[in-house]
Amino acid sequence: MENKRALLKRRIIQLAVIVLVILLGVVMFVVGKEHTILLDNKSIESGGVTYNAFQVVEVQVDGRDKLELGPRDRDKEVVMGQRHKVTVTYFDKYYEEHVVVKKFKVPISQKMVLISLPAVAAELDQSVWLTNYEAPTLLNIPKDEEPIVSDDLIPLDF
Amino acid sequence: MSELRETKGEKFFNIIEKNAVSILFLIICAVGIAFSGYSLGYLGQEIITRVARNSFLIISLLIPIMAGMGLNFGMTLGAMAGQIGLIFISDWGIAGIPGMVLAMIISTPISALLGWLCGKILNMAKGREMVTSYIIGFFINGIYQLIVLYGMGPVIPIKDPALVLPRGYGIRNTVNLIGIRRALDDVLAIRVFGLSIPLMTFIVIALLCLFMVWFKKSKLGQDMRAVGQDMEVARAAGIRVEHTRIVSIVISTILAGYGMIIYLQNMGTLNTYNSHMQIGMFSIAALLVGGASVNRASIGNVFLGVTLFHLMFIVSPMAGKNLIGQAQLGEFFRVFVSYGVITLALVLYEIRKRRSRTRAGRLLAQDQLDAIKEEQ
Amino acid sequence: MTKIRKFMKSFGWPRIIIGLFLLSLFIIAPFVGVNLGTSLSDTLIRFGMNSVLVLAMVPMIHSGCGLNFGLPLGIIAGLLGGTLSIQFGFTGGLSFLMAIILATPFGLLFGWGYGSLLNRVKGGEMMIATYVGFSSVAFMCMMWLILPYNHPTMIWGYAGSGLRTTISTEGFYLHTLNNFLQIQIGEKLIIPTGMILFFALMAFLVWAFLHTKTGTAMTAVGSNPVFARASGINIDRTRTLSVMMSTWLGAIGILVYQQSFGFIQLYMGPFYMALPAVSAILIGGASVNKASITNVVIGTLFFQGILTMTPSVMNSIIHTDMSEVIRIVVSNGMILYALTRKSEVSR
Repeated sequence: MENKRALLKRRIIQLAVIVLVILLGVVMFVVGKEHTILLDNKSIESGGVTYNAFQVVEVQVDGRDKLELGPRDRDKEVVMGQRHKVTVTYFDKYYEEHVVVKKFKVPISQKMVLISLPAVAAELDQSVWLTNYEAPTLLNIPKDEEPIVSDDLIPLDF
Repeated sequence: MSELRETKGEKFFNIIEKNAVSILFLIICAVGIAFSGYSLGYLGQEIITRVARNSFLIISLLIPIMAGMGLNFGMTLGAMAGQIGLIFISDWGIAGIPGMVLAMIISTPISALLGWLCGKILNMAKGREMVTSYIIGFFINGIYQLIVLYGMGPVIPIKDPALVLPRGYGIRNTVNLIGIRRALDDVLAIRVFGLSIPLMTFIVIALLCLFMVWFKKSKLGQDMRAVGQDMEVARAAGIRVEHTRIVSIVISTILAGYGMIIYLQNMGTLNTYNSHMQIGMFSIAALLVGGASVNRASIGNVFLGVTLFHLMFIVSPMAGKNLIGQAQLGEFFRVFVSYGVITLALVLYEIRKRRSRTRAGRLLAQDQLDAIKEEQ
Repeated sequence: MTKIRKFMKSFGWPRIIIGLFLLSLFIIAPFVGVNLGTSLSDTLIRFGMNSVLVLAMVPMIHSGCGLNFGLPLGIIAGLLGGTLSIQFGFTGGLSFLMAIILATPFGLLFGWGYGSLLNRVKGGEMMIATYVGFSSVAFMCMMWLILPYNHPTMIWGYAGSGLRTTISTEGFYLHTLNNFLQIQIGEKLIIPTGMILFFALMAFLVWAFLHTKTGTAMTAVGSNPVFARASGINIDRTRTLSVMMSTWLGAIGILVYQQSFGFIQLYMGPFYMALPAVSAILIGGASVNKASITNVVIGTLFFQGILTMTPSVMNSIIHTDMSEVIRIVVSNGMILYALTRKSEVSR
């Protein structure tokens, strides 16, 4: 009788550990997922109105270094996790500084997203300035093989 | 039990013989360092990096030795499991510490399964564990290639085309691990005397060492040591010998998987089809250089071994160039020394096994003679 | 019925499976556009190439030294013979003969040392054999660089010193045996009679030896060491003799291999060469302490047959070259099978 109860207890603990580990795995997945955020300084059109690209604009993702873009420039930041914020700083035609800060969430299954800076500055709806981006597959294939890094002791051939 | 009375000369020779491999290596390293012309600073940094990189893997070898299974050439199985974990997180784009942890989580069931399989086969080849684990490594490598070179893509979905071979399926020869590159090392990298030390990695290694110490004292650890000493006596004492042996291999394989992930996060690139095969040989050679034998190994052996072995490894090519004019000679030299050391250690182990039997005989004879003398 | 079952049990399931697999490959071959004649020729050629290397396993298994994982040592003796023969300027068929003559003292010397070592480590022979093999290959890597060879076909052109990694046997003993008494049937089927005759000669020598007094002593040492010692046989000396034989056969074996293959492979070439020979003889029915000539023939035929047929046939069917992986799985699986069987002799 004692034995059965002890065995049951052990099984329950084992099951609980497995569940916890799986949960941990899921958490790690979500926390560690990398995304590429493309920052576009291109004129875009929305709702009939054209928002022009800036001559010069400063953008910062989260707390990282500020990036400066000219017209039709595109830069990128590789980030980890879903929640981020973007800070756009620009000068309007009266030489007054404007700062726009927007918080956003990257959908977990998306590898790359595109943020249109003019749209952010115009404080448009998030669905306008944040779009999913699919890289054309040709871009993804690395041209050269990575140099093989190893402490080689034997050439393998069996 | 009385002690065998030996002459001072005999005692001296015994000490030399016990540590023959390490002493020999010390001499080789000293000569090599002298001739290589490398600065102490350079060597120091290299050694720190390599110790941090390799120690976890080598520590995983301790448990099977404790359980009498000899040198676990099957650690390549754990390495393969770790690599599969890394392939998946690279595909899913998980980076940093979360990426490493996830890779470890994925590798664990694979390691456990492979380790269990390995243990079961080793139980069927008692007395020949080392050769068998050596061949198992090759065999599972074939299965690994079946999965990674042919299965990944068609059967196992891989999203990222950058990982896949140009022909459309199968993983590339090299996988860039840029996501987790130095993920563990850089968490707490400090500079001491101009040397960069990956503190977090060392902390992890220290935790493993503590685990080992605790494990040796735990019931399972004691069981393993009993099995390692004498299987039949352990069986008579009620220990499930076969089960304990399998558990020792499973734990060792799982740890090898984690060790491989730590190794690769430092290297930064995964050599998909070669890394795991080499790593077994490296780790075993290093352990033996540190003074371990087929049936006795301690944590001290691990650290001494990894330092000496990698010192020799680093200085050989340069020393060869300066001594004889060909760096290639130095490279071949280090290959020779690596294999030679394993050969030497294996031979000494067998000879010592034989010698201990004759010692037991001599002790018995000595006791009997003493008893006779007392009666007179 | 029981007779068949008995045969199957002694033959072993893995071998039956492998045999059937090979047979099915041959049957499928013509249907997928693979020429049967070429396939048979290739298989026979590969059989001849590897047969003597597999034969080298027999003496050591007989004397209880286990599977000769240290075959590379014998191979190195053969390499020394071959390179020296070329160095001294022998060409054509004579170079093959001289290679054998020059390799012999090396083979016997290495075998003697290797055998003495194995005698001191009874019980752990196989593991130590493996690493002796590896260490000697690595050691020779250094030697090939600095030994004073200077024949122009063998050394690096620009660097001037040190042997090349692969040396062509063309002009020397390329196809010496293959072409001897070659039989050609039809358009595609070529039987390398010379090579097979040579193997038959070697096999006969081994068989004859094993039936002499010393030979039977060797078998006794392997199968029943207690009885052997009681009969006054010097176990250590017999074992050393078997190792010397194995090593010498290994040297001959690699020379036969090279004359067909066309190249002498130095440096890391011999590194893993023991494993195919070991699995071949195991596939042929041998075990860790029992082996016969029949095992050699069947084993080499099956093993090389699979190696030849799998790429061509499977390629035509599933358009993938899985042959490498299949080779690894089959050969290592076979060794594992042999290692996990209970040996007939206890230590």
